[in-house]
Amino acid sequence: MKDLHGIIFAYRESPNLRELAQVRNACSVPFGGRYRLIDFALSNLVNAGVDDVGLIVHSSYQSLLDHVGSGKDWDLSRKHGGLRILPPFGYSGTNVSSEHYRGRMEALAGVRSYLQKIRQDYVFLCSGDLAANLPISEAFEQHLSSGADITAICVPSTTSDPQRTTYFTLGENNKVTDITVGPNVPSGIVSLECYILSKSLLLSLVDRCATHNAHSFNQGVLLGMGDQLDIRAFMFDGYAAHLMAIGGYFIRSMELLDPRVRASLFNPERPIKTKDMSNPSTIYGTEAHSVNSMISDGCVIEGTVINSILSREVRVEKGAVVENCILLQGTTVQAGATLRYTITDKNVRVCQGRMLMGHGTYPMVIAKNQIV
Amino acid sequence: MKKECVAMLLAGGQGSRLKALTSKVAKPAVPFGGKYRIIDFPLSNCINSGIDTVGVLTQYKPLELNAYIGNGQPWDLDRSDGGVHVLPPYVQEDEKGTWYKGTANAIYQNIGFLEQYDPEYVLILSGDHIYKMDYSQMLDHHKATKAACTISVMEVPMEDASRFGIMNVDENDKIFEFEEKPKHPKSNLASMGIYIFTWSKLREYLIADEADEKSSNDFGKNIIPAMLGAGEIMTAYRFKGYWRDVGTIDSLWDANMDMLSADSDFDVYDSTWPIYARTSVKPPHFTGATASISHSIATSGSEVYGTVEHSVLFHSVTVEEGAVVRYSIIMPGAKVEKGAIVEYAIVAENAVIGAGAHVGGEKSDAPEWGIAVVAQNLKVGEGAVVAPNAMVTRNVKGVKA
Repeated sequence: MKDLHGIIFAYRESPNLRELAQVRNACSVPFGGRYRLIDFALSNLVNAGVDDVGLIVHSSYQSLLDHVGSGKDWDLSRKHGGLRILPPFGYSGTNVSSEHYRGRMEALAGVRSYLQKIRQDYVFLCSGDLAANLPISEAFEQHLSSGADITAICVPSTTSDPQRTTYFTLGENNKVTDITVGPNVPSGIVSLECYILSKSLLLSLVDRCATHNAHSFNQGVLLGMGDQLDIRAFMFDGYAAHLMAIGGYFIRSMELLDPRVRASLFNPERPIKTKDMSNPSTIYGTEAHSVNSMISDGCVIEGTVINSILSREVRVEKGAVVENCILLQGTTVQAGATLRYTITDKNVRVCQGRMLMGHGTYPMVIAKNQIV
Repeated sequence: MKKECVAMLLAGGQGSRLKALTSKVAKPAVPFGGKYRIIDFPLSNCINSGIDTVGVLTQYKPLELNAYIGNGQPWDLDRSDGGVHVLPPYVQEDEKGTWYKGTANAIYQNIGFLEQYDPEYVLILSGDHIYKMDYSQMLDHHKATKAACTISVMEVPMEDASRFGIMNVDENDKIFEFEEKPKHPKSNLASMGIYIFTWSKLREYLIADEADEKSSNDFGKNIIPAMLGAGEIMTAYRFKGYWRDVGTIDSLWDANMDMLSADSDFDVYDSTWPIYARTSVKPPHFTGATASISHSIATSGSEVYGTVEHSVLFHSVTVEEGAVVRYSIIMPGAKVEKGAIVEYAIVAENAVIGAGAHVGGEKSDAPEWGIAVVAQNLKVGEGAVVAPNAMVTRNVKGVKA
């Protein structure tokens, strides 16, 4: 057992993911065909030998709970430890806002008695909507050997909106010398908002933030205490996508069609696990065409699929054309319909002969269960 | 705790007719239809029929099969009461234990297992058939006819009847005669190797059969004839639908090809009767810019850059650019390198077909033509030629261009 405990934040609302996050928590938004975003955080922790994981949720978490279940698909259904779902008001004596958590530190204060019972000496904090295959073991080793108070996992740059990004300036030994939260233009290396710190430091920071009315990790810890703490960066050079807006969701998804990106995100040494759905294989009809596309199990393809990502149980009927699209589970594209730059949520049906077209910078999104 | 019906799945046969495919694994663990192994079909049928206690009798090459079954979780058979149990032969008191001598002896040696559940009925299944069947309907039939034994049968073309065990029945489908592979069949009702016995009756016959030193301890050869001879009520249960014995290379290839056709009346996409499997943790499969894939099935983890037609690709298969795969079955982890041609062939797990190699050949009526097979983990070298009907059991050297 590793001396590391995982805390995944799954409370954040993501209105910019539009229709996809209206019916579900951002962490259970489907990604990469067969996965949900939460699969990456859970698999990363399990692949690093972390046995105990707390999942902090606040609202609209039904689909997330359906997906993670007991944690069995990640080997986190344990007699001792394993996955713990941490909803608000699960602990008495906490004083938190009832509307939503205003930040990570408030969320942690809401589960303070859980934090106190953590068996491990170190804690890994991350957000459940980050798609990346992180070498947490290596980051943890660096944390222990560097003697840092906090180790932050960082990437050199990102295509995400700078105003939603935290940047670090590094000095010697990857030591963070300056912190910029949400600037207008990129400024330094990019924090993936994944942090390793000791349990005792975490508890004292939670208490300090609670008494200083600081709710977020950025405000309360990085900006508020940054000059008193030894914060160091662990540099990661693989694919990492923080999915907060629909445009980014589309672009970052399409990057998966590049074999180098797939090799990074689906590194066979650190497999990404997901809920087992027992789908059969995908069947291609006699007139099927499928080019430069990622296709999950259980699909029936009789038409043409180009530059697209299909989730499980998608049907593309004869004569239908699907190009530059992301079709989520159970979508049916009937005969002769044409879809370009379109994202369809679960169980959408596009009827015979319809034509739908968005644009690479503004994809069309069809909400769950709609019939076009 | 008492169970009304317990299933016993005979999974210990050597499967020698599958030749190289069963050199390392038991027949029920042979991959089938893209996502499955053969044993997924009877196990899924059990749980879908409400039978939650299954004994799997293993003997030959059990490692991979045991690992695959595990705790039974993929089939919802991980139970604290019942569930799936792997039953290898074991040494009994007086060191009398032996290998399973025959199908009936395998059940005899596990009387103790069955008695734990004090069942009214025992369902006997084999691990080499592909079908979907509601055993609860067969059990209802067994109870309604007050039979000691019910045998599931299906009508086969009269000209094929001499390849099967044939049941001769009266107007009420009561069996009065059983003939194993008769030269001159009197009926076309073939046994599917699925039996329901009233346990108290079967127990008597198993004990009597064990005492008979001349017996080969086999259901078809000994138990069924003995019960018929003693005048027990034995009925045929007629099954209509898709059922295939996949005990030979040709029948395994045929049944895999059936998965490609929507009209083979075998629908694994039907969510009311799901076939469960232990699945691999792999990303969705990818078809590259140079790929051409039609009338085929493909599974997660595979990467296709070449041409695939009329074929079954299991998980984690690679078909490189310029390679052609036609009318073939490519099992998990196998790789077909650049420019290679694989046709009318079965390529077993993790085998590699080197660049420019040619495995199998166009279908012909010539007597020497057949499905080519490359066994697990082997490498067919660059440019090498593997003839139709060949059975490759060691690495094939490449040919220098």
